[in-house]
Amino acid sequence: MRIAATFLASLGCAVLLGAVVAGCSQQQMDAFVKNSGGLDNLTKTVKEAFGSIDEPQEIEMGHGMAETLLGARPLLDDPALQRYVNEVGGWVAAQSDRPELPWHFGVNDSEHVNAFAAPGGYVIVTRGMMEVLQNEAELAGVLGHEIGHVIRKHHLHALQKGAWMTLLGSGLSASAAGKPSEDLVKALVGPTKELYSRGLDRDDEFDADRIGVVLATRAGYDPWGLPAALQTLAKINPDDPYMALLLKTHPNPGQRLDRLAQAMGTGFDRYADGRDNADRFRVAVRAIRPPAAQ
Amino acid sequence: MTDWRTVCALVLAALATNAWAQDKGYTLRDVDIKDKPYLDARTIARLPARTDVSVLERRGGWMEVSAGKTRGWTRLLSVRLGNPDPARNRTSLAALFGLAHRGTSTVTVTTGVRGFSEEDLKQAKPNPEEVRKMEGFAMRDEVATFAARGNLVRRDVPFIDADGRPVGGAK
Repeated sequence: MRIAATFLASLGCAVLLGAVVAGCSQQQMDAFVKNSGGLDNLTKTVKEAFGSIDEPQEIEMGHGMAETLLGARPLLDDPALQRYVNEVGGWVAAQSDRPELPWHFGVNDSEHVNAFAAPGGYVIVTRGMMEVLQNEAELAGVLGHEIGHVIRKHHLHALQKGAWMTLLGSGLSASAAGKPSEDLVKALVGPTKELYSRGLDRDDEFDADRIGVVLATRAGYDPWGLPAALQTLAKINPDDPYMALLLKTHPNPGQRLDRLAQAMGTGFDRYADGRDNADRFRVAVRAIRPPAAQ
Repeated sequence: MTDWRTVCALVLAALATNAWAQDKGYTLRDVDIKDKPYLDARTIARLPARTDVSVLERRGGWMEVSAGKTRGWTRLLSVRLGNPDPARNRTSLAALFGLAHRGTSTVTVTTGVRGFSEEDLKQAKPNPEEVRKMEGFAMRDEVATFAARGNLVRRDVPFIDADGRPVGGAK
């Protein structure tokens, strides 16, 4: 609930700022800016409020964002597959520098090919992604990429950097509702939709690719799982509607492969004995893969 | 007379061939073709950049390719699947994976698609019940057992920067 308090405090700033912008003359505004130590300071105050997000707050925010993401498309009704993805993801996340986060993995019931993460350890892959992956090493690489976004707090930074005003703006109407947690969820709906439609910084994506490769390799997998998955994506027609959101929000697979080639070089050849566990992957996805695709 | 065991072996080998087999691709740069998937293996040919190749197999960071009479191993990341002009990749997901439940058109999405499109995201309303469900599948200590069953052995690998230099502490 602490996050809600921070949030409401920040909302106060936004209300103030809103009033200044909406209702004041230039003179009044100048006076306000002078008295409040300048707009820069006001911005700084709000940013600092978000800069100091601690881990419980981060998890609470991620939970709120996941509610909207799973609101767009619910989980696939396949408990065995859900458990399997949590096993692979949990093992890969255990190799990260934030193993103690409450990691949660899920497969949603979407035919689009995509995967995304929310702060605090929420990772969702689409059923469509599970259909194009060939083995457990590829899955580990994809989940490792998403885990990379979480451990580097890419989504939090994006909210701080770009969309915090939107965040506050959409929180205004909710601030009167009373229940802080619901307020938080409501306040996050707009920014969540915006962030996941727009995507992260391209550099964050390249960063997450390298982390994904390293985490999967640490976990004992074939290091080329993620590159292999990207190779598959590279040969799909980019106009395929099932690829639209993934391609809009990420550098194209070819660019990502070029960057991984540069970063991996021959340095991962020594880990070539990593596993791909294709057999147990095939068993795990048997319910969603038509026989022809296996 | 054909030995039935040979036939069986061939059929099994064909079934075991991974889904990459017979993929088309092209070389990104001038590449060495090796007789085995190792750096110190013998170089048996050299293919110029943008040579069309058929992919026969992938093994770790290596791909077995053929181009004309040349056949051998080259680096996975020196070959790109598909067409040099991505817009000419005519592979739709439906065609690629034989997904009978998908439409075959690459342009239109039929109604009733279970999607996670930008539009679906726009329409989303928070669903706390689904997050609770997701949290119910969480694993903690079980993952070590899962890893052991899959012969996954933890290794120390440092994070790397864009040029492959180690950054931060190895783990």
